[in-house]
Amino acid sequence: MRRLGNPIAFGVLVVAVVVAPFLFSNYRTYQLAFVGLYLVALLGLDILTGFTGQISLGHGAFMGIGAYTTTILVVDHGVRDLWTIPLGGLIAGVIGLAFGIPATRFAGPYLALATFAIPLAFIGLLKRFPHFTGGNVGKNLPQLKAQLGWHTSPSIWFYVVCWAVALVMLPVAFYVVRGRFGRAMRSVRDSEIAATANGISTAGVKTLAFGISAFYCGVAGSLYAIGITYVNPDTFPIDLSILLLVGIVLGGAGSLYGMLFGALFVEFIRISWGPALLDLFSKVHHVDTHAPGSGLVVYGVVLLLVLYAAPAGAAGLARFSFGSRTRIIRPRHPPGPPAKGENA
Amino acid sequence: MRKTFLLVVAALAVAAVVGATAGARPTATPGVTAKTILLEGTYPLSGPASGYAPIPVGMGAYFSYVNAQGGVNGRKITWKYDDDGYNPANTVQITHKYVEQDHAFAIVGGLGTEPQLAVRQYLNDNKVPQLFVATGATTFDRDYAQYPWTIGWQPDYEAEGAIYGKYIVANMPNAKIGVLYQNDDYGHDYLRGFKAGLRSKQSQIVTAQAYDLSATTPPAVQMAKIKASGADTLVLFATPTPTIQAYVIGTKLGYKPTNVFTNSVSATDPFLTIAEKSGSNIVEGTISVNYLLDPSNPIYNKQPGMKLYRSIMAKYAPKANANDPLQLYGVAKAWNVVQLLKAAGKNLTRAGLMAQARKMNYSTGQKNANPFALPGVVTFTHNNFQYPISQVTVVKYVNHVFQPQGKLLAGRGALR
Amino acid sequence: MQTFFQTLTTGLSDGSIYGSLALALVLIYKATEVINFAQGEMAMFTTYIAWALMGHGSTFEWWAFFATLGIAFVGGAALQQTVIRPLERASVLTAVMATIALLVILNGLAAWIWSPQLEFFPSPFPTSSWVIGGVHISKQDVGTFGVVMACVLVLWLFFRFTKLGLAMRAGALNPNAARLMGVRTSWLLALGWGFAAALGAVSGMMVAPTVFLTPNMMQAVLIYAFAAAILGGLESPVGAVAGGLGLGVLLNMLGQYVHPVTTELRLPVALGILLVVLLVKPAGLFGRVVVRRV
Repeated sequence: MRRLGNPIAFGVLVVAVVVAPFLFSNYRTYQLAFVGLYLVALLGLDILTGFTGQISLGHGAFMGIGAYTTTILVVDHGVRDLWTIPLGGLIAGVIGLAFGIPATRFAGPYLALATFAIPLAFIGLLKRFPHFTGGNVGKNLPQLKAQLGWHTSPSIWFYVVCWAVALVMLPVAFYVVRGRFGRAMRSVRDSEIAATANGISTAGVKTLAFGISAFYCGVAGSLYAIGITYVNPDTFPIDLSILLLVGIVLGGAGSLYGMLFGALFVEFIRISWGPALLDLFSKVHHVDTHAPGSGLVVYGVVLLLVLYAAPAGAAGLARFSFGSRTRIIRPRHPPGPPAKGENA
Repeated sequence: MRKTFLLVVAALAVAAVVGATAGARPTATPGVTAKTILLEGTYPLSGPASGYAPIPVGMGAYFSYVNAQGGVNGRKITWKYDDDGYNPANTVQITHKYVEQDHAFAIVGGLGTEPQLAVRQYLNDNKVPQLFVATGATTFDRDYAQYPWTIGWQPDYEAEGAIYGKYIVANMPNAKIGVLYQNDDYGHDYLRGFKAGLRSKQSQIVTAQAYDLSATTPPAVQMAKIKASGADTLVLFATPTPTIQAYVIGTKLGYKPTNVFTNSVSATDPFLTIAEKSGSNIVEGTISVNYLLDPSNPIYNKQPGMKLYRSIMAKYAPKANANDPLQLYGVAKAWNVVQLLKAAGKNLTRAGLMAQARKMNYSTGQKNANPFALPGVVTFTHNNFQYPISQVTVVKYVNHVFQPQGKLLAGRGALR
Repeated sequence: MQTFFQTLTTGLSDGSIYGSLALALVLIYKATEVINFAQGEMAMFTTYIAWALMGHGSTFEWWAFFATLGIAFVGGAALQQTVIRPLERASVLTAVMATIALLVILNGLAAWIWSPQLEFFPSPFPTSSWVIGGVHISKQDVGTFGVVMACVLVLWLFFRFTKLGLAMRAGALNPNAARLMGVRTSWLLALGWGFAAALGAVSGMMVAPTVFLTPNMMQAVLIYAFAAAILGGLESPVGAVAGGLGLGVLLNMLGQYVHPVTTELRLPVALGILLVVLLVKPAGLFGRVVVRRV
């Protein structure tokens, strides 16, 4: 049972998820649904980055693959959107696995930069095959609507779908990181040399972690398409991949519950908190709240301040306050003579 | 384990604070009170498309001016807009906020083809007016029957392309044409219209080169191919940066076409000045079209519309650059919004607003023409004709000013 | 043949820009193991400063060019000391995140201060071309290439023949040992950021006349610079420059000669080639593969 995560914490989360739509407005419920799907994406990326130590700057593209899978199946083949969610994950996962086989041969920073190519290539392919993908104009999905004979608002329906998925994917993530494979991942992260010495296939572990993370992001992407009801290349910019990484770091790489914070930040910072902070600031000091670029400045400054306050993310902060023995990610200059190739 | 538990509780606390603001209560007509009307729209205030940021400033200036005059039928206009960074995913979420949280009366002037496509069905399902979208994509005007709550405003790209085609047929029938176009809906709309306008002369297009906005390298290869094709008439259906680059690269390659056509989005004095300063010698004589007063051309300074525009900008947006045509675009559009609100009457409803938008007739003859449009331009919609502004005049860039050439042309007529 | 040389010169000129920014990335990476995502935006921001120094005018001023290099140097060092240094003890990921925050802030700030409108930035070189055997060789392209290569040469001489350069190389190679030998590594890192910022300013000022001045002008260049840096090997300054030139030529040749490669696929194909190179040589073309003993 422990392998599925702390049952009390999970219970609290479930209760909160059930109660939330009764407390918040329709629109906030819609936004909290996105928090749920971002949580799924961040859990996946955390398995790769936080637990296996491999930085990816391209996982937004796996969300894109999931989203396009859903879109094409729903729009062009009339499949019910719910059934496409696992398919979106599977296709993204398989592509992620395929990409992981060569990519995991690259050393740390080379991998990070190689993954940077995924969203670029993805956007290029979307535009190259417009008959299949809709090209730049993209595709509209059906509007959100409660299904399965249930009558409720579209936002609540979407919220329920997202969180149902998230609440399944969370214990699964715990199962992955707490098992034998999880130990292998962590040993790859902490020292590849030691891992190899212990008979662990580092390339195999990294590839599999890549596939799992792509699966999670694909599922999140499917939900994203269902919620946005529209996809085109602009909806999966490189910024999205970076935003996911921001979510990981702020939540605390290597902590699964920390991803809740990451997901809240990812959803709210640009469209809610940023403008609200600017409004607040404009009351103290005269600023044009709609000045071009001002939103970005607020986003960047908040990000930086959070990094200073909690260099190891929200989870790190909790650990700092209450003490813990686990390290999140190895320090930059490990004790002893730091050989350059060590983190290869 | 205490740690994870605390994390969950803390995350929920954050969520609670986040969501604590409940939405305003909906009234009989959402967004309309006895004293106010709430209008909202999304614009790219950051990112690559943020050059369009002046538009909502111009709109705001005009609304402030109207409010200072007592508003519309006793109600003041509240104008709010947000940054979507030209990412449709943001547009969708912000538009949900406008409709479900803020209860906006109408979404006005939302910018960009793709962002507005993303919210069109949602707004129509919720019967919220998607008024005067800031894009010339033909679909927003053409598909009024399917999307009764959506309407465009400016001349559509297809019609503009047709005007160039007709102009070439009439004035330079032996032209050998080379086209550079953006490989998306925008470029394709222009090219389709252009071919329609050329009709039997389509074979005179000796080459049509596409470039991709995300390829991010200047269209050097394309320009070299256009030069090699021997085209003497260069037609640019591109966004501003690639347009300027095409001018500069053309000159670098020693390409000297007799005529250059540039679509109105990119053909503004600031952009062409950059091309000239960057060493292009093929800018002078550029042909484009216009339908609004041009703040950089002194011949309009005596127009009452231009005087009004400058006084409004000086008073209500003193920091903005009043010579920017985008500000005037915003003011001109806001004028049109106010006319509709007035016509919709004291008993303001969303359906009433759309009914007015579907039968506009603002013209010199009616003595109610848009003062910020070129003299004679009509804003007209009727039954199955839903292209609000479709007249343009051909303009030629001479000595840093676009000079009008002859009469107004009916863009939609050119397509038939 | 004419087309070939035309494409080659355009490619080399594009490539020199990618190479210079790639070199800036390598400078910081070698010293700190951090990939500086803000490198492009630092270059953009300093180019705006140069533009302001030139009075938003239409003629290029060399004094402003050198003043900007100075400002960039001080600014880069200051950023390292104020923004990055407090995170010295945090993980690499956190430090990278800080550079991303910096990217976002600088981009927003430039739009806020100078408006996101496209602006003209003057080139120090005439816009005319030499015509040699039918090939138009733009003086601007040649000048850009020359300036970038001159900067690379100066940097190389500095690292090779000055005491400070030697100390910086030592600090980068083995920070702990260097610290023990009495080298103040923290200040050396600041110097590294300063040099990188100045180099970025050069690439910004050289590329601005062709892509024009906007807050987003360096984002594409940064992507190519990343690619160039890994192509050449993140540890190798020579590799960064060579990688940049190679990539510039490759992209232009692909566009010119390979027909199925329509414009949308040029970037993916170039990146695909890059991945293949990495598979064969995992540490880039010029990087040394460190043999690991298990």
